[in-house]
Amino acid sequence: MRGTLLYIGQRLVLIAITTVLVSSIVFVLLHQIPGNAFLNETRTSPESLAADLRHYGLDKPLGTQYVNWVSGVLHGNLGESLVNRGVMITPLLVREASVSATVGFFALLVTVGLGLILGVIAALRQNTWADYVASSAAVVGYSVPSFVIGIFFLLIFGHYFFEWTQGTVFYNVGWGDWTQIPVPAIALGLPYASYVARLTRASMLETIRTDYVRTAWAKGLKARIVVLRHALRNALIPVVTILGPLITGIITGSVVIENIFGIPGLGKEFVTSILARDYNIVIGVFTFYAALVGLANLTVDVIYPALDPRIRY
Amino acid sequence: MAQAAPVAQPDVELTYEIPEQVTLLSDAWRRIRRNRLALVGGGVIIVLLIVALISMVWTPYPTWLQAVGPTYQPPSPAHPLGLDNAGRDILSRIMGGALITVQVGIGSAIIVSLIGIPLGLLAGFYRGKVDTAISFVINIWYGIPDLLVALILVFVLSDALHLIPRGVLVIVIAFSLTRWMDVARLVRGQALALREREFVEAARMAGARDYALLVRHIFPNALGPIIVQATFAIPAAVLFEAFLSFLGLGLPPPTPSWGAMANDGYHGMDFAPHIVLAPTIALSITLMAFNWLGDGLRDAFDPRMRR
Repeated sequence: MRGTLLYIGQRLVLIAITTVLVSSIVFVLLHQIPGNAFLNETRTSPESLAADLRHYGLDKPLGTQYVNWVSGVLHGNLGESLVNRGVMITPLLVREASVSATVGFFALLVTVGLGLILGVIAALRQNTWADYVASSAAVVGYSVPSFVIGIFFLLIFGHYFFEWTQGTVFYNVGWGDWTQIPVPAIALGLPYASYVARLTRASMLETIRTDYVRTAWAKGLKARIVVLRHALRNALIPVVTILGPLITGIITGSVVIENIFGIPGLGKEFVTSILARDYNIVIGVFTFYAALVGLANLTVDVIYPALDPRIRY
Repeated sequence: MAQAAPVAQPDVELTYEIPEQVTLLSDAWRRIRRNRLALVGGGVIIVLLIVALISMVWTPYPTWLQAVGPTYQPPSPAHPLGLDNAGRDILSRIMGGALITVQVGIGSAIIVSLIGIPLGLLAGFYRGKVDTAISFVINIWYGIPDLLVALILVFVLSDALHLIPRGVLVIVIAFSLTRWMDVARLVRGQALALREREFVEAARMAGARDYALLVRHIFPNALGPIIVQATFAIPAAVLFEAFLSFLGLGLPPPTPSWGAMANDGYHGMDFAPHIVLAPTIALSITLMAFNWLGDGLRDAFDPRMRR
């Protein structure tokens, strides 16, 4: 237990270092840009521009700005929006992250749930029609990008459903109502679900041929127990290893999905801010994402030994 | 589908002259021929290449020409895929988009390999401090949200600093800078394993320098897995371009990028779904084809899968 805590502590430090390091690159990159967010506005006087630059500390040398920014990040303060003066970035992003996290969580549920079910069915019914249907669905699914699925869903649920049901049942784009969660979550999760299904099928096929599963069948255990406790638990190990990249994929995929479905999350903020040249928010969202990806990978690595006792830190 | 062969394995003719000798490529070709999905994927990719080549010299209408007919016109005999929101011929733009897709895909595969192969070879061959340093960079790089960094790179390099004009090149560079690790890690593993083999030892004993060992002995023997990994970089790069262009941060209009076309059609989806359907279906089929071919190549080049 103490080893685990030490391991988690070390990883947290590493995540903090990575996050600051990677965000620093973005910070330096964005500060190479001549001009700034104020250039596009209509200015009445150079004095007001100077006042704005002073307000954001942009008149100081880059080194000082960088030191101020890093100490801000370490204190959890990501600064102030350049475009909307007075809007502090940290609370804004925390609010938006909770929206993104809701969609992401349900997307992950779709990915893992659907992927496991399809994969297990395909493996148990190997070379039957059920296997062929599940496998072909997976083969097609993992090549169709989530934004294409999103567009198709929008067309089907937002448009055709409206026509078929004479306007009684349809999906309304936006956010605020729980009925608006499933459509974007499924669109975001489906491509990865196919991937999980393929992987589950392959590893299930391996485990159901092992001796201990044959023993479990031979001693007359119920099918449910053999499949869930003996076969699936061991088949899950390779699936868990890809959970890290999977979560990264869902996080980056949400950038497009949130823009398609009009969800006010981090991804939408990111794109809006880039287009509006609000660099402070761009760096902030990026820092947030880098930390999230690191934490997601850490969570996966902590779950891993619970499934496979052979793994120790 | 037999014509799928030449592109997948360009050197195949050379090996026919000595049939009793089984080379890496002829062996892989023999196995991939039995993989129907991979052949279909290869066939689709050949069609894509041909369409891209044709679009360089001829498209039914210029891809940028607006108002060749009524805007939002659904498919008709004169315009098989209809017209878009600016009255441009969608078939012509799909053809032009095929060229963009091929450029992005092949360009990225090449640059990813150019970055990943040397780093991987150095790390695997010299081990020790070199390996520690390169592996550390690889691990850090895996921890970053790659698409977002690439997005910022495109924005900074072309829009803000005007170093590289917004176009295929900047997208390829941004993608490669954030996704070179897969190739590097794979090559490192291969180099680690191969450097212990007898033929490398023999070459070293014959007086080969490190450079010759790496380039003439280790690299050629790792070629199979490298080709597979580079093939998988293609659909990722194509998707990345479409993703950027869809968000309006990729290729500038009126470039006929499939992602940008999807964005054009997305706004008029309620009354003219054909505009958004054409590019998204083309994109999905292309990605599928590359993934199938990649899977097939992986099975074909993997000696452990030998049946």
